[in-house]
Amino acid sequence: MVVELQINNSPDPKARYVSWAPSACRIRVTNPQGATTPTVSLRLRSVTVTGGGRVGFRAGATGAFASTLTVQVPINGTSVPFFVAGQFGFPSRDDGDVRIEAAQGNTVVGSVTLMVRVRKNANTLTPGERDRLVAALAQLNNQGMGRFADFRDMHTAVSSAQAHGAKGFLPWHRAYLLDLERELQNIDSSVSLPYWRFDQPAPNIFTTAFLGVSNANGTVSFSATNPLQFWVTDGVQGINRRPFFNTGSAPGGLRTEAQTIALGSAYPAFRTLEGNPHGSAHTSFGGSISSVPTAARDPLFFLLHCNVDRLWAKWQRQNGRFNPAVAASYDSAPAPIGHNLADSMWPWNGITGGPRPPTAPGGAMAASACVSAPGGQPVVRQALDYQGAINAASRLGFDYDDVAFA
Amino acid sequence: MSKTRKSAKTAKKAPRRKQTRRAGAARSSRSALATALNPRKPVQDRITAIATAPLAICDDDRTLQSMLDVLRKRDEPIDVRLAALASIQAASFSVVAFQSCRSDYIAALRAVMDDPDPELRQRVLGILSREKDGAAQKRLLEGLEKPAKALVPPEKALQLLGYDPHASVYKVARRIVENPPNEEARLEALRLLAADTSTRPVFEKILGDKAEAPEYRRIAASALHAMAPDTLQKLAREIVMDPSDSDEIRATSLTAIAQFGGSSTVAADDALLTSVDGLTGASSPDLQEAANRLRAKYGRE
Repeated sequence: MVVELQINNSPDPKARYVSWAPSACRIRVTNPQGATTPTVSLRLRSVTVTGGGRVGFRAGATGAFASTLTVQVPINGTSVPFFVAGQFGFPSRDDGDVRIEAAQGNTVVGSVTLMVRVRKNANTLTPGERDRLVAALAQLNNQGMGRFADFRDMHTAVSSAQAHGAKGFLPWHRAYLLDLERELQNIDSSVSLPYWRFDQPAPNIFTTAFLGVSNANGTVSFSATNPLQFWVTDGVQGINRRPFFNTGSAPGGLRTEAQTIALGSAYPAFRTLEGNPHGSAHTSFGGSISSVPTAARDPLFFLLHCNVDRLWAKWQRQNGRFNPAVAASYDSAPAPIGHNLADSMWPWNGITGGPRPPTAPGGAMAASACVSAPGGQPVVRQALDYQGAINAASRLGFDYDDVAFA
Repeated sequence: MSKTRKSAKTAKKAPRRKQTRRAGAARSSRSALATALNPRKPVQDRITAIATAPLAICDDDRTLQSMLDVLRKRDEPIDVRLAALASIQAASFSVVAFQSCRSDYIAALRAVMDDPDPELRQRVLGILSREKDGAAQKRLLEGLEKPAKALVPPEKALQLLGYDPHASVYKVARRIVENPPNEEARLEALRLLAADTSTRPVFEKILGDKAEAPEYRRIAASALHAMAPDTLQKLAREIVMDPSDSDEIRATSLTAIAQFGGSSTVAADDALLTSVDGLTGASSPDLQEAANRLRAKYGRE
């Protein structure tokens, strides 16, 4: 007998990625040879390498996850649903380091490898994780004419009002990071965007093997094996970044994570993180990352904003702020277009002119093989329920290593 | 007390608590500003107070103008002035709220472009350059053409002019490549010229010249990748297969091939791959690593 297991209800190998939020999966018999009954009892279990990801199983949409699950599967090919989720605290390090097996008795009749893929602290990546990330970034940049040019062009002085200074700051950047991450995953599915935890020392980020070492002039250098040495933006080679702090320590003057989460339990108070720590993190350097028109030229920008997003995610988890219908989850005060819950977000909406910028680089939001949300033209409200805590279909397909699902 | 009366009492308290919190935050903000602006307070206390200000700067014009005054005043301690600059700059990320302050901010930056303090000059010129400010660009270019008028070192001027490169900048950069005031300046001139496709022959020459220092050749490799990737792949291949060339440049070339080389072309290049197989025992760790990565990519392990 042979069975097929589908992660995220898809046969696509690019769908074999889970995070802490439950992923809908299914199993079916593809070859019933040897079966003597209309259904077979199969036990699902996971096998992982040392240090690899771990997953749990449950039969339905609610309930606790367990290390194994027994399912009754018809031999006529009908699929049986089940759910898989990464076990919090045990993300994968490598693609396919977890294998789900379906066993009939002691015989494995089907298996699939997958990855528990979550966003991690950039300072603690393994060399393999780091190298895959920089290779994917370099490929996305590719002579300055790769898809990265669109991401650079999305964050300029002209477009800035779409993303800053009003309540949509957090949702817009969440969508922006998600789009970039999905493009990176189109290059290497095992990659996720890591975060620069700027309130803690992060010496492993500022190395020639990762995001580079700055000289006194603020020019960043890389090792001869780091493909980021070929980074080009706006036609100019290299990255300008001059830390105003010792990169063996954290920058001074930034709100800590605890202080940021404590800004307030309602969104209007919380989003003042835009000034400190967000703005203060940007301006703890000289160079491209310190000014709005040029910040996205530096790949560190995306790790900085990943941490800002992680702080939002943590605040949401702590205060239960995933539901747009709950007033404290967002801000109902009038705001410019692009910042209100029902507004579509530029540039993915393709709208130009009037209150929107004159061009809309990049086109629709990148799709994911794992989830269907938010679609090509996201609206602000879709950024809130990123884990699918309120509505499973809202899940955006990412999680942070230190922010659990419900 | 009944539950109904209790919840009504609690509901009345909620808006009052919110008002109290707002009033408290406003008082705290005013107190921080007072400390920030008080020249009799210790410098560190002022810096700490300024750091709490970012969004408060846009709350009223008086706060912003006060911070800009601190920035402009040459008799203020430089660390306080730099903190004021950082705070206003952080606030500028809240673009919508900052819009009303912007012209005053740019005017203040221009006013301190030629400040006696070199760090302040450099930071201010950096901000203005990233805003593509014509006045700053003019002063930077003037400093390259007439060193006595330079506000920042030539390598910094070139780096900042790179935020908006155009013909007159390229002309100066080419001159500096030929006759550099120092090595850093030559490096920055080369980086800037990577945006000028007419400079391609210069980069080909530098990459192919073993007498050039590795840092120049690496910039040349990167520039060629941007302007003529097929040329880079061809030259990189030659370099990799030349045992007399620099390990660092061979490693850079291998990285270029592994990262950007056409898969089918590289896979079919037996001569290259055999040459790379021989590099697994290289004395240079970078060369070894680059070789191993290429071999892993093409199944040679």
